[in-house]
Amino acid sequence: MSGLTPAIKKPRVNAERLATALRLWIAAGPGLFWIILFLLIPSAMLLAIAFLTNSDFGSPVLPLSLGSFSEVAGYGILGWSGANFVTLARSLVQTGAATSMTILLAYPLVFFIITRPANLRPVLLLFAILPSWTNQVVRTYAWMQLLNPEAPLSHIAQKLGIIPEHLGLMPGDFAVLIGLTYNYLPYMVVPLYAAAEKLDWTLVEAGRDLYASGTKLFFNTVFPQTLPGLLSGIILVGIPAFGDYVVPQLLGGDRAMMLGSLIAGQFTFSPNWPYGAALTLIMLAFTCLGLVTFRRLTQRMGAGEGAML
Amino acid sequence: MSNIPRGVRNGLLGVSLPVYLLLYAPLAIIAVFSFAPSLHHPGLNVAAYGLLANDPQVLAAIRRSLVLALCSAALGTMLGTLMGFGLSRFRPAKGGGFWVGTLPSLIIYLPIIMPSLVFGISEMIFFNYVHQYTGLLSAGLLTMGIAHVTFQAPYVALVVYARLAGLDANLFEASHDLYANGLKSFLYLTIPVVRPALIGGFLLAITLSIDDFTISFFTAGPGSVTLPIYIYGEIARKGSSPEINAIGTLMIATVIGVALLYYVVTRQQGRIGQTSAA
Repeated sequence: MSGLTPAIKKPRVNAERLATALRLWIAAGPGLFWIILFLLIPSAMLLAIAFLTNSDFGSPVLPLSLGSFSEVAGYGILGWSGANFVTLARSLVQTGAATSMTILLAYPLVFFIITRPANLRPVLLLFAILPSWTNQVVRTYAWMQLLNPEAPLSHIAQKLGIIPEHLGLMPGDFAVLIGLTYNYLPYMVVPLYAAAEKLDWTLVEAGRDLYASGTKLFFNTVFPQTLPGLLSGIILVGIPAFGDYVVPQLLGGDRAMMLGSLIAGQFTFSPNWPYGAALTLIMLAFTCLGLVTFRRLTQRMGAGEGAML
Repeated sequence: MSNIPRGVRNGLLGVSLPVYLLLYAPLAIIAVFSFAPSLHHPGLNVAAYGLLANDPQVLAAIRRSLVLALCSAALGTMLGTLMGFGLSRFRPAKGGGFWVGTLPSLIIYLPIIMPSLVFGISEMIFFNYVHQYTGLLSAGLLTMGIAHVTFQAPYVALVVYARLAGLDANLFEASHDLYANGLKSFLYLTIPVVRPALIGGFLLAITLSIDDFTISFFTAGPGSVTLPIYIYGEIARKGSSPEINAIGTLMIATVIGVALLYYVVTRQQGRIGQTSAA
């Protein structure tokens, strides 16, 4: 039918496209403008502040400078210090460790759930993600109760010689790792479950027919099929874990400082907004780097159909 | 999948049970401590809950949390539904270029991917300057609510989008053929179709609001101490107390109760749907 009127086809399509775009922005507009006004502009302001100078009261003032970035690199009034690099490295290592832990726990859990009868699966999945619906402060506080120096677990660890006599399992890096793993495990379980549910088991059968077994069977038939879910799980766990504030604050203490606590400190107790903003920029840079890397990988896997982006 | 070797199935069970234990042990510990405040004085009591019921600060914090969650979720669901609807309905399948494809997606994903600490601090600075120059939006429940809507709306949009993406586009053609205008087909076609997603999105928005601490912490004012902020303050001040354990237990119990209720209700609805379809 469109072939009959080739002369007027092109302008009409353009007008139609414009009308559709307009409708999109009318319908989605309120929400989009809300996010632009209350998040895009504020975060742009935060980034701009990184290039200002700190006044005596911790609020930023005008002369543009890169002073906050040299402070990030460790140059202060007392000379150079590597503390920020240690903090950044610790954040990266903790994020990697916590993400690995969630992978190690989520795989058996997810495959346990999908090998149960179909009517049990939703309940088992629900119980796996239910704890994450309570408030993060409550969840982290719960681990404070379990790991504190007076709690039985710490006494056992002391007896076994894992930790020195006078210390507890918290505060410290170990407690932060546990806290991060606990808080973000559901973010790994859900995408992995979604991928595992769609698993094509005939491939596994074929592999078995070809006498593949055990780990070989898993890594050649099951693992590649769950890879898209795994990659989105890594993004969903890694980004919030890297930027977490509550867990290192409550379970970490001063010696297990992560980037989140360092940044928050510049906006609360001892205000230095430009320095804090510059640190934020570093955090966002690493977040984007991770995001882009894993999105590239996911796209190469050809996954993500049905996603909006 | 039924012919997975028995050994593997048992192995999965053997690893998964401890994981479930790990998920619930900390929550169970709080619940136990809320009834048995001291290891040195054995015996159960509900004294901690009595303290809570008579603590005006706690009651006010609970009230603020509920008001914040319900109001922000209502607005967040409205904005999110419109975004999900707009994107699924008015975007060509092939992406549609920058203004129709890339930009709206980027904006919607921004609150989801941004670390909540950066989110919270950005808003704190923004509200701070707005208040400084206009006198409006002093830090309080209103600024917290604005921030909550900002992170709720995109999640609701995703839920609604997922629901509408599976919908036959011919339905909209049909409604158009029956002389329904845009608003009418939105009210009489889109809304009924997305109702489950709408309810799910609203509940998700409430959960997100109640679960959030970091963003609330940075956008709160002195007069808007909500429950999570109150608990955080108490932990910072005292470390632990039977009262915190009692609040924590109540929050956990509420979440589990609501989740089970939701599960039972949706299961029954599913059954009714099945029978009426058959």
